[in-house]
Amino acid sequence: MATLWRAVSSSVGTKVVIALSGLALFAYLILHLIGNLFIFLGPAALNGWGHTLISNPLVVPAEIGLLLIFLIHVYKAALNWWDNRHARPTSYAEKKWAHHTSRKNVGSTTMIWTGALILLFVAIHVSAFKYGAFYEPPAWEPGVRDLYGLVVHTFLNPLWAGFYVACLVLAGVHLRHGIASSFQSLGADGPRFTPAIMLIGYLLAVVIAAGFAFIPVWVYFRLG
Amino acid sequence: MEKMTIHLRVWRQAGPNAPGRLVPYTVENVIPDMSFLEMLDVLNEELIAKGEDPVAFDSDCREGICGTCGLVINGIPHGPDRGATVCQLHMRRYKHGDTITIEPWRARAFPLIKDLVVDRSAFDRLIQASGYTSINVGGAPDANAVLIPKDKAERSMDAAACIGCGACVAACKNASAILFVSAKVAHLGMLPQGQVEHKHRVVKMIDRMDDLGFGSCSNEGECEAVCPKEIKLANIAYLNRSYLTARFFGGL
Repeated sequence: MATLWRAVSSSVGTKVVIALSGLALFAYLILHLIGNLFIFLGPAALNGWGHTLISNPLVVPAEIGLLLIFLIHVYKAALNWWDNRHARPTSYAEKKWAHHTSRKNVGSTTMIWTGALILLFVAIHVSAFKYGAFYEPPAWEPGVRDLYGLVVHTFLNPLWAGFYVACLVLAGVHLRHGIASSFQSLGADGPRFTPAIMLIGYLLAVVIAAGFAFIPVWVYFRLG
Repeated sequence: MEKMTIHLRVWRQAGPNAPGRLVPYTVENVIPDMSFLEMLDVLNEELIAKGEDPVAFDSDCREGICGTCGLVINGIPHGPDRGATVCQLHMRRYKHGDTITIEPWRARAFPLIKDLVVDRSAFDRLIQASGYTSINVGGAPDANAVLIPKDKAERSMDAAACIGCGACVAACKNASAILFVSAKVAHLGMLPQGQVEHKHRVVKMIDRMDDLGFGSCSNEGECEAVCPKEIKLANIAYLNRSYLTARFFGGL
């Protein structure tokens, strides 16, 4: 146990924990996005999917697990950022990106800030939807929460729709570095597959951000 | 030959705890064939002639193999050329009238001594931690008595090219020494002779790196981009794999 603690407290171990928890959260985002696609099948499909999820006895343990992973990711990343700030007490008067083979990008330079904003967004998002207004179910679906109505009502407000799109762009910027970087932290880097990891990580970041952001845009412009 | 006038902004700091600042200088009659360090030599000759304190900077071999020189030039460690140290940079890279900012490596683990000179003995501490092999040499072994696959030999040799200049630390936003450590771990760990201490080496060097005040890897690869010996980021992944294996399966 002491060994495990030493391992995860080291600089390498810290990055491994951030990478594993980050990849787990990314996997959750994929499931979340797939669930969201039910909205395009209509109110019955989305509400039915939500009801199926919430009726499963495993949903509470799964939510607790997800919250723990999220908190570990935030805690380790914040600690890592704080320690790294002290590694260079005097900053450069002039510092440029090296480019060339460097993978430095907008995402990698802003991870802690996009991360902090995503943390804020998640808090707002969960309180707006999971713990948001309870819409009475339509007559043909007794006992089923009308999630579809809540989503549509929320995103018909241009402020909500715009806020979500902005936050999802931030999430995409975060994932742009996060997905590919996780593999590097976990020790996967080689001349043959690293270019593929970089490209797939980039594409998945775009797919996740665009996929989620499409819903508020679609609601606002098609149902408005 | 056409001569150039170059404007400099040089970090001057009298001692480790003295306040420092960027001081402007102008060097006339710079010949494009001069190396960057020769241009600084010219500046120092002029300063000495005027009775001023010359700019302190490190250099030794001046042919890119010793790792002694190291300056952050216009925001990039070792300047704009790839796979080259400051001493291999030439003034033909610049135009008449250019302004060049020169700063020292900046990292908590590399405390400043004077002007552009920093104390890089933290790298020696890392080598002392376990950046070595312990071999009883005895008589000369037969050639090819220990067989090493070609690809392993090449990866080891590529990592062994590290000259320990510290540009990786200077470039990293976290001032991490992990590219340096990974070069040593890969250099020794790829070879059969380095196996005995391999898992201990990885753990000890990472522990020492953290103790010395270096940051953690950002995975950005700025280090690889500025490295005069083009040490690859793949070495860091190898280091991470070795570290995890040593910690979780190596009983450390």
